[in-house]
Amino acid sequence: MKENHKNKFKTPEGYFDTFHERLMDKINEEETAQETSLIPKSDGFAVPDKYFDTFKVESEQVKVVQLKSYKKFYYAAASIAALFILFFGLTWKADSPITFEDLANAELDAYFESTELNMSTYEIAEVVSLSDLEINEVFDNTLEDENILEYLDENVEDIEDLNLDYNDYE
Amino acid sequence: MIAEETLVQELKQKESQAKAFEVLVNTYKERLYWHIRRIVLNHDDADDVLQNTFIKVYRNIEGFKGDSKLYSWMYRIATNESLTFLKQKSKKAGISNEELKMSLVENLQSDVYFEGDEIQLKLQKALATLPDKQKLVFTMKYFQEMKYEEISEVLETSVGALKTSYHLAVKKIETYLKAD
Repeated sequence: MKENHKNKFKTPEGYFDTFHERLMDKINEEETAQETSLIPKSDGFAVPDKYFDTFKVESEQVKVVQLKSYKKFYYAAASIAALFILFFGLTWKADSPITFEDLANAELDAYFESTELNMSTYEIAEVVSLSDLEINEVFDNTLEDENILEYLDENVEDIEDLNLDYNDYE
Repeated sequence: MIAEETLVQELKQKESQAKAFEVLVNTYKERLYWHIRRIVLNHDDADDVLQNTFIKVYRNIEGFKGDSKLYSWMYRIATNESLTFLKQKSKKAGISNEELKMSLVENLQSDVYFEGDEIQLKLQKALATLPDKQKLVFTMKYFQEMKYEEISEVLETSVGALKTSYHLAVKKIETYLKAD
């Protein structure tokens, strides 16, 4: 109270008494504004009748039981396979083992295409030696604006880190 | 609500595992389903991914260290499973991820489990134009009504960055919906 006398500033009458009320009004106003936003409140997806009541995960146990009942067939299959391997192992020339090069390039490409490797840049660098790479492959490729924007969109977490003018970004 | 820690302990012990897993599935199936459905859009695909998510949870529960909450760990698995599912689907079809997303939205028109009207269909088209992360943040906040702190745990992104993403997503969607 002393402070007020000192600084001579005044507030409209009843300002603090009604502050909370006005604040709540404003919050409500904003909430209504949000509700009347263009974006619909529901997105229209539905599920089949009783889907959640009947949902069951195909548990591991079920699979294990299945495996056990086929166990004897696996033994039979394994013994036949062993015979074949023995037969071919003896008849094939020992000097032509299958090498990595024998795998068709297409198959390798297909493997890398369809498998998520989840390797970090450092891990890739450990496998691929620098001498295998043409340094020009990196510098000669010009990046299209579209690619850069896509990269930034997906990888930059905080747009503000880029120190861009907001208008420029839009 | 079951205590998460007790449930995790029960899941790790052979004798209580089956029962605890049932509780886990029943507690989280709906929430995870809606999270997945909003990424893959189609009910059958969502069902497949939900199955895979729970199977992964079951197989990996041993490795769950409790650094994050159980539900955010499961949401993370569900998110990764859904995005990987879409990637594989687009590869199989020989089209880009963007093309796939657009075709999924087109298919909604004839989907019996999509009851949306024109505006809701347009919303899905708008969402399909967003980068994955912005779309995730938007649906988690707007439709799943998750708190920023919860989303932050799932997506491993700071709350500040999430707010920026959400704001950008809303602006882009509104612009899309306004345009004819």
